[in-house]
Amino acid sequence: MRWRPATRRRNRVPAVLAVLVVALAVLPLLRDSTGFVSDSRLFTMTQMFMAITVASSWNLTGGFTGYVDFGHAAWFGIGAYGTGVIMSKLSWPFVPALLAGAAVAAVAAALIGSATLRLRGPYFSIAMLGTFVTMREVARVWRPLTGGGSGLTMPPILDRPLFYYVTFAYLVVVVAFAFWLRRTRFGASLVAIREDEIGAEMRGVNTTVAKSAVFTVAGFITGIVGGLWGYQNSYLSPGIAFVEARTVDAVMMTILGGLGTVAGPVIGGAVLFWLRDVVWANFLDYHLLVQGVLLIIVVLYVPEGIVGKLRRRSGAVAITRVWRRADARRRAEPHGAQPS
Amino acid sequence: MNIRSTRPYAIAATAILGGAALAAGPAGATTEPVGDFAGTVRVGAALSETGRYEREGEDVRQGYDLWAEWVNDEYGGIRVGDDRYGVEIVYYDDESDADTVANLTERLITEDEVDFLLGPYGSDLTMGSSAIAEQHDMIMVEGNGASEDVFARGFQNVFGVLTPAGNYTQSALQALAEAGAETMVIAYEDTAFPTSVMEGAQRWAEEYGFEVLAIETYPEGVTDVTAIFTTFRDLDPDVFVGGGHFNDALLFMTTADELGFEPNAFVITVGPSNPEFADELGELAEGVIGPTQWESVMTWEDEYFGTASEYAARYEERWDEVPTYQAAESTATALTLQLAIEAAGSLETDAVRTALQELDVETFYGPISFDETGKNASKPMGFIQIQDGEIVTVGPADVAEAELIYPLGE
Amino acid sequence: MTELLQATINGVAIGGFYGSVALGFSLVWGVLGVINLAHGELVMVGAYLTWIMHRNHGWDPFAAVVVVVPVMFVVGYVLQRMLINRVIDKPHLTALLVTFALSIIISNVVKLRYAGTPRSVRAAWSGSWRHGDVTIPVTRFWVLVFTVVLMLALWAFLRYSRLGAAIRAASQNREAARIVGIDIGRVFALTFGIGAALAGIAGMLASPLLPVFPTMGPPLTLRSFAIVAIAGLGRIHGALLGGIVLGLVEQYVATYVPEYGTTLGIIASFALLVTILVLRPRGLFGGLRPAH
Repeated sequence: MRWRPATRRRNRVPAVLAVLVVALAVLPLLRDSTGFVSDSRLFTMTQMFMAITVASSWNLTGGFTGYVDFGHAAWFGIGAYGTGVIMSKLSWPFVPALLAGAAVAAVAAALIGSATLRLRGPYFSIAMLGTFVTMREVARVWRPLTGGGSGLTMPPILDRPLFYYVTFAYLVVVVAFAFWLRRTRFGASLVAIREDEIGAEMRGVNTTVAKSAVFTVAGFITGIVGGLWGYQNSYLSPGIAFVEARTVDAVMMTILGGLGTVAGPVIGGAVLFWLRDVVWANFLDYHLLVQGVLLIIVVLYVPEGIVGKLRRRSGAVAITRVWRRADARRRAEPHGAQPS
Repeated sequence: MNIRSTRPYAIAATAILGGAALAAGPAGATTEPVGDFAGTVRVGAALSETGRYEREGEDVRQGYDLWAEWVNDEYGGIRVGDDRYGVEIVYYDDESDADTVANLTERLITEDEVDFLLGPYGSDLTMGSSAIAEQHDMIMVEGNGASEDVFARGFQNVFGVLTPAGNYTQSALQALAEAGAETMVIAYEDTAFPTSVMEGAQRWAEEYGFEVLAIETYPEGVTDVTAIFTTFRDLDPDVFVGGGHFNDALLFMTTADELGFEPNAFVITVGPSNPEFADELGELAEGVIGPTQWESVMTWEDEYFGTASEYAARYEERWDEVPTYQAAESTATALTLQLAIEAAGSLETDAVRTALQELDVETFYGPISFDETGKNASKPMGFIQIQDGEIVTVGPADVAEAELIYPLGE
Repeated sequence: MTELLQATINGVAIGGFYGSVALGFSLVWGVLGVINLAHGELVMVGAYLTWIMHRNHGWDPFAAVVVVVPVMFVVGYVLQRMLINRVIDKPHLTALLVTFALSIIISNVVKLRYAGTPRSVRAAWSGSWRHGDVTIPVTRFWVLVFTVVLMLALWAFLRYSRLGAAIRAASQNREAARIVGIDIGRVFALTFGIGAALAGIAGMLASPLLPVFPTMGPPLTLRSFAIVAIAGLGRIHGALLGGIVLGLVEQYVATYVPEYGTTLGIIASFALLVTILVLRPRGLFGGLRPAH
């Protein structure tokens, strides 16, 4: 009998992904006005790609690093307005304006992060929510720059296939980036921060810089999506650029898919869009209600998300471990304030 | 070593492809014509069946449906040349969301392949929807998006039958000026439509000789306007002009009561012409003036729906409720499209567009003719006043049913 | 000078109302350790209950307290037993997400039943008292009075009653409370019920001041958070103080900045929230528990 060395099973992941990418890339070429691949179908897919990208970038701070940002949609709006203002006031062409707009979002994230990242847990989450509301009203009040409540109009451009490709390519880049990041030392340090920030600090991780860096990057990534959306929409106003629901969607998708995983936001996003378009379309009045119930069920009973459920190994999503650890810590801590 | 299983990625792949494949989306609801017609004119409409415009969206739908049923069942079909065509309206729910309405408008054009579009409710949704229509060179006639921005983009295919936002306050301010009012304060929600209205208000104020003592804005979803009204009260103006949404109208009147702010007239853009306003506020609503696109007592008339009150009777019989102006302007929108098709004698976009540009007609809703931007330049805004808890039409003068009470005595 | 006085009066008046909203939020957070993002929705339900009594039976909003309190208490108790209990020892994110989902569910249920049309209620004590150049809005005055009475009642309850002692014990040290025989589960349910009743009362007080509609909740929840940040957790008098500080900031900015003042006032109040949290993570007067 010969010893057969344990052969590594051929890694099928790249093949599957390649097929997927090619399939989605080819889709617009099948475009015709009737039936399956129409402009509006492409538009829905574009929206899905954008939403998943935003969720993926939210996951960088929320999932990898454990800082749950309830105001994430702010970077979207800042990116949208940044791009829009630069295009209309400085007459820059789209691509430079997009990069500049996202840079503005990144700078805002860095500045705000320098203050809010010092907060922990729910305080951080709600401070970011407050920041989001503030940003929206600032866009409203700063009329000379942003057009105030009346909004900003840009020359319309309708090219659905183009936007489809751009948002899809961007999504692939962002997910690949997340995949890569997770495997670097930096990524590991983020996870270390999530699991035990003080311990990480003691082990030499510069938590302040790390948090700030990932926050800024997430802001930039989301800012680009905002700029793309704004350009496609050709009209901006504070009420449609700064929408809480975008943060909620990002959170829901990620949690549903698997907080802290790379595939989580993607899977959660696809599932959520599918649910919306197919299932709930027929029960529109109850649509939000059902989403609320779904969120509760997922959070209480499937906290590791779809990806977590699928993984059997202990290398799986660490969120349950985080919670168990946090749990133990809580029990050890004496309980707080005296009502007076 | 690959420590992660490949399963999640396979699932992701299936999920995305599955999502794409199965994201067929809802089929549009339609009203099919029954009867003997040479063909069917297919019209598309994305409306707010859910979301914040749900109420108004329902009115719009009922307005469109009333027209469609009348055309198919009574009128005998739209005349296209020598033939009579039945009409079919394809509906989708835009959930009162700007992104959704754009998407759905596109679906109507590219998947459902409608011949024409009827507009959604609200200026913000009309902005997005009409942009799509213009880009696909499809005609859209709308009656529920009054913001000036809708018409400021140089579009050729968008036509609005309602009085545009800038003219909302014109007739009321004119009447108040004639009654002796001289000073005014303005408060409005800082979003597209109210801003349009108030920019117009300032122009008319200047034209009619008003002195504007103060202008204040507030954000969407405001919960407190005490500071604004305190300032206003100290200025003691003749007229208060304000506007945003229904919420704001309620807030204005309760706050005015609390602070003892008592101008000689209140003009509020959204709220008073809705019966629920007087219903909720009781005596606080007394004397408030509100612009209205249409009231059933106005004496406009046409050969299709008769007078305004005959239209109202028909509507009430069909839908078991009194028509709001949103419903009436929706029927008028569809009627306008019909008249243009008949004048053009064809369904060709260019022919119908020309017909619309040349249209000049009086309907039960009021006069309709379009300027070069697509606005209805010939229709004056009406206004009502709440008198003894009732909504009473007090302007424009030639179609009014009662006199404007100014100043408000107390 | 009278402008300042009037702005101060306005700020205190609206601040008193904000304080009443924050009371229940602070109590639940302080005792159960749960940040209830559905708190604003509980306020909204209280407001609707008041409106229903007013609309169908002609009750004055202040009188509706006899209906609002028991109904909301039961609602809160049941919610806690069925749902909130499951998030008590979980990390904060779980509680935030679950209560957030709950807020969506509640506001949509109300919307399905009553539609989105805003409602209004008028108290018998309304109008204004003029004194020279200064006006005191009557209804707001009574709202403030009611809030103060409510706070005193709550304080007395916690201080002098057995249940109050049990609640305080449970919030100080859960294990020790268990050891001395306190039924923690029951205490938590009762506390949440009280918190919900307080929210309901705040909604009742809101109904003559604000339009009542299904999505009125979130700004109120956010303001409650701001007030707790300013005033510290579990401090009853702090809720009123914090509310007044918030109200004054909003009113001063709104009064003194022409044209855009109201919007800036809102920016100011949220900026204040963020600033306080950042500069003094334990809250302006201390007392906020550090998060873990």
